[in-house]
Amino acid sequence: MEPAIQQVVAALEPFTGYIYPNEYYLQWELLIVLYPYLTGLVAGAFILASLERVFHVKALLPVYRLALLSALAFLIAAPLPLMSHLGHPERAWEMLVTPHTTSAMAMFGFVYAWYLLVVLLLEIWFDYRVDIIKLSNEKTGFMKLVYKVLTLGTTDVSPEAVKFDDKVGKFITVVGIPSAFMLHGYVGFIFGSIKANPWWSSVLMPVVFLFSAIVSGMAMVMLIYMVTSWVRWKTIDMACVNKLAEFLIYVMLVDFTLEFLDFIHRLYESEESIQILSQLITDRLFISLILLQVLMGGLVPLVGLLVARFGKFPDEMRKMFYFVCGVLIQVGIFSMRWNVVIGGQMFSKSLRGLTVYKVHLLGLEGLLMAIVLLVLPLVVLAVLLKLLPPWLAEKQEQKTA
Amino acid sequence: MKTGKIPQQVVVLSLISLVVIVSFFTMRFILTPKSFGKYGHYRADAIDDVKNLPISYAGAKACGDCHDEIVKLKSKGFHRGVSCEVCHGPSAGHTEDPTSIKPEAPRQREGCPLCHNYSPSRPTGFPQIITAQHNPGKPCMTCHRPHNPVPPVTPKDCSACHRSISAQKMVSRHAPLECTTCHSVPKEHFKNPRFVRVEKPTTNEFCGKCHSSDAKAQANLPPIPRIDVEKHAGRYLCWDCHYPHSPEAK
Repeated sequence: MEPAIQQVVAALEPFTGYIYPNEYYLQWELLIVLYPYLTGLVAGAFILASLERVFHVKALLPVYRLALLSALAFLIAAPLPLMSHLGHPERAWEMLVTPHTTSAMAMFGFVYAWYLLVVLLLEIWFDYRVDIIKLSNEKTGFMKLVYKVLTLGTTDVSPEAVKFDDKVGKFITVVGIPSAFMLHGYVGFIFGSIKANPWWSSVLMPVVFLFSAIVSGMAMVMLIYMVTSWVRWKTIDMACVNKLAEFLIYVMLVDFTLEFLDFIHRLYESEESIQILSQLITDRLFISLILLQVLMGGLVPLVGLLVARFGKFPDEMRKMFYFVCGVLIQVGIFSMRWNVVIGGQMFSKSLRGLTVYKVHLLGLEGLLMAIVLLVLPLVVLAVLLKLLPPWLAEKQEQKTA
Repeated sequence: MKTGKIPQQVVVLSLISLVVIVSFFTMRFILTPKSFGKYGHYRADAIDDVKNLPISYAGAKACGDCHDEIVKLKSKGFHRGVSCEVCHGPSAGHTEDPTSIKPEAPRQREGCPLCHNYSPSRPTGFPQIITAQHNPGKPCMTCHRPHNPVPPVTPKDCSACHRSISAQKMVSRHAPLECTTCHSVPKEHFKNPRFVRVEKPTTNEFCGKCHSSDAKAQANLPPIPRIDVEKHAGRYLCWDCHYPHSPEAK
């Protein structure tokens, strides 16, 4: 073949069929994939915390505070991908000051503020209040000042006050569960309500997003718990991780069923988009959907968790199983976000063509930025763990014992 | 700080909430522009701001006042729908002071590919080039007149317009065949492609001329797949299953 023709063929190769000019480049890129992933971790971690607080799953006590702090760390980082994607972060406040009541995105600003200020911060404060007061008395210098500020001026550590803290904490968690559902259900709602896009437009979207959020959040807290235990040279509470694995199995089953239901429903409905969507799945999304999301991030960890939880293994082996499954689940859920966000923009609204997406390395929406934004919540978490160690209660229990 | 029976925490948090709420609404009051919401969900003063912006574009009509010959020439050509300032840039200043302010006159290759570089999303038939391969380094104006652009010569081959089909055919088993082997092309098609169409084969016997078992093979071509046209196709047409520009059978 002539070199000139080779170049023509190469230029044609990435695109198939017919696409409109505004579909040539994707408008929502890697950072928009990151955003639902991060908010999902928040919602999941919070739901996990509520299992202990509201539903009295005592085995999960060792991860209760860790889950709350993880939720806070991820929540602080969650809007950053959006700001980086949109540019002009200084304009973000305008959405709160002059909100448009018919815009789901604008209203979400309030859901976010409510969840951050009223639910998470308050719950963490009530839970840690006595510890903070104690720390403010024990510490010296700058840290004393920090803890003094964190007490917000309260000094009461009487049994009645502690009881009150507990009561309010529980009430906030009860309020927090629907808030967490809203927080992540909203992300699915935004995609699900884009009626012009057959890959997104589905009423099941918020529910699917929510359950996948719970899966990823639980798995993430399990991973963080295991890693922090290893770093602190503490033994991992097997009853806790076993319970976590059980809950993960249940939620994964529900999540998997919902996604399967969505798939079957689309197939049965067989709207005019079905052909391009099947091309999308078998061609552009084969690796990220079939291999990563369904197989490596769904079925393999599900079977892995089942085998590890109910098989006869030594604890060390079981921990390794859990850890690997936890990592695979993260890969799977991240792929799910990828497939929704990127997949939805890869086919033409003409339903006759597919475009391509290549991740950039540099720039505000590039891979490096995404890595920074993924690592950032972990840094925030490290600071929070230093400031408000979740294992304070553990130590006190040991002391009293 | 305990006030009667109200727990300390409640007092502190109520105070903080009050401060947060009051400062939010104060901020809102101060920061919301005064004219916000007058006409709709936006700052009404923005309209005046936009109105006061300096006008940069003169509009194509203004150009015709002086450059009537060029406007007349352009009005008959393929670029009749392209406004003067698309290529020459905003020229309101030039209309006010024609001698000292001159509009841009792009003479290199930078402007034309904005519309004419190959993009899969442009309609078939729209003149497109791959800039890196189409006379690299040569200014477009060497061969094309921007005010009345016509291809320098009538396209010799079909690929000038049917690039996608041509590229597909080029790498297919039908590469050695000329387009005219299957299509008869009226001369008028080159001038008026949308109204005078090429003719396409209509029967299976046409494909059978090469592919039927009793067809005469051509010596300079690779082995041709043979079939019994009647039995193989039944009531279907060949192109119901095989795409002639990229046939898959070996």
